[in-house]
Amino acid sequence: MRSSGKSGKLLPQVHLYPDRSSRTLDLEEIASYLIEKLNRLSVDIRGPLFTERAGVNTRELARELARARIRDPMRKNSDSEPLPAEINLEQKLLQNPELRILGLFYDGVSLWRLALKLIPEEERNHGHLHIAFTNRLFGTWDEADARYHARVSLYGFPCLISTTGIVEAPAKPKEFYALRQHYLALGVPGAYEELKERFRGRFIDYDDERLTEVMKGYVMQALFYHLTGHPFCENRNCRLYNAHWQEEVIAAQLGPKGSEFCEAHARILQELQSSIT
Amino acid sequence: MPTFEPSGEKEVTRAIVEGFMKDFHRYAESDVIIVGGGPSGLMAARELARRGVATLVIERNNYLGGGFWIGGYLMNKITVRAPGHKILEELGVPYSESSKGLYVADGPHACSKLIAAACDAGAKILNMTLIDDVILKEKGRVGGVVVNWTPVSALPREITCVDPVGLESKLVIDATGHDAAVVRMLEKRGLIKVPGYGAMWVERSEDLVVEHTGEVYPGLIVTGMSVTTAYGLPRMGPTFGAMLLSGKRAAEIAYEKLREIR
Repeated sequence: MRSSGKSGKLLPQVHLYPDRSSRTLDLEEIASYLIEKLNRLSVDIRGPLFTERAGVNTRELARELARARIRDPMRKNSDSEPLPAEINLEQKLLQNPELRILGLFYDGVSLWRLALKLIPEEERNHGHLHIAFTNRLFGTWDEADARYHARVSLYGFPCLISTTGIVEAPAKPKEFYALRQHYLALGVPGAYEELKERFRGRFIDYDDERLTEVMKGYVMQALFYHLTGHPFCENRNCRLYNAHWQEEVIAAQLGPKGSEFCEAHARILQELQSSIT
Repeated sequence: MPTFEPSGEKEVTRAIVEGFMKDFHRYAESDVIIVGGGPSGLMAARELARRGVATLVIERNNYLGGGFWIGGYLMNKITVRAPGHKILEELGVPYSESSKGLYVADGPHACSKLIAAACDAGAKILNMTLIDDVILKEKGRVGGVVVNWTPVSALPREITCVDPVGLESKLVIDATGHDAAVVRMLEKRGLIKVPGYGAMWVERSEDLVVEHTGEVYPGLIVTGMSVTTAYGLPRMGPTFGAMLLSGKRAAEIAYEKLREIR
């Protein structure tokens, strides 16, 4: 438990759940950051959310996770029965949360429903803020263009933040995709590695050294959602900016120290800090 | 003085027919039929045959190897990522490390070694053969395939009039690549639902192909790129390392299933 005391009356107890497959996500640092921002906050770090746990049938949970997979991002997920290999893989991932297997895409709402079942019943109330990091990539269905869109985070109860989503959801620079298409057409071996090298620093990569710093902003979005119902800000230089491009993520989360939040949100934070008893 | 023995045309014809018929007669019932002679199918064939499993590979083309002969842009270098290079080593294919964990080898050398390894192990090959349907046995289990000569499929249906024949087996492995031809046959009968194209993904995902290799329907195992179609996995990315490892895994699973059946 990281805390400077018991959470203030208005503040929830924050519970952070790690992604064990991430080598660069430091939850201790994120917990300290939260307390630095609101020093009456109580924060604890738990084990991974999506893992084997007492009282939960692992095989059944694996089946539900497999069912949550999006097979075709252009079609809304139907409730089809998953195949044995899909369930086996999910079971393996639950039993080994340090594993990261890329290429799977989940329906965010289904994943969120499963996450809700995994948090202790007595903590399913407004006095608790559960923020679970996961390496699962999830998306939400958009009726406007009839397709799934990958997301970094899903704010609700609990909040989900994807360490794969931060790499895959915000779009990389346009030139990246143009070159990728060109390389793919030519069938150039090792093209992806070359592209990554060429655009290094311009997007958040797997096990990026900047991941913890970036995730501080997403955790703050979760906290603002919990406290105010509004996780986002329209100011591109505010940590609460809902970035759709990697360059926007970098601008919002890795901007100059001391000006992490826009004036309005900095003021809200200050007011929260002083009003909490 | 002539160099060669004086065999006439009829002896040559009889030798072809007898040799083919002997194998065809024997392999009308196999332990495992592998549909598709690309890298994953050949790898599975080699692994099964070397364990004494009667294995028949069905290939629609007159050549084996699929895309394993060449790499990108028609350049005959193939790449594998670790640990796929261990299989190259096992097959005796020379390779070099191009960058950390990425290995490059000559396509023709790797492909011909793999074909030879499958044949040396005892796998039998049926070229120019296309599957027409699947045989379903008791409890709906896949128990073989119905085949015809590949050229027959090029003729108009109205004038073909060439009935296919059935080949039985205890297990069938679908190694037909993105087509997932055997899985699609089951889909046509409404026995399985194929999810379609998988999500695009920037990072490679060889692991997924290997992880999902296995029995997709009673009696039917999927391997190689068929796995991506059967499960709607990302279609871009996997290099030949995943194909070889998936083939090996398919063989291991098939071997275990055969033991259960016996």
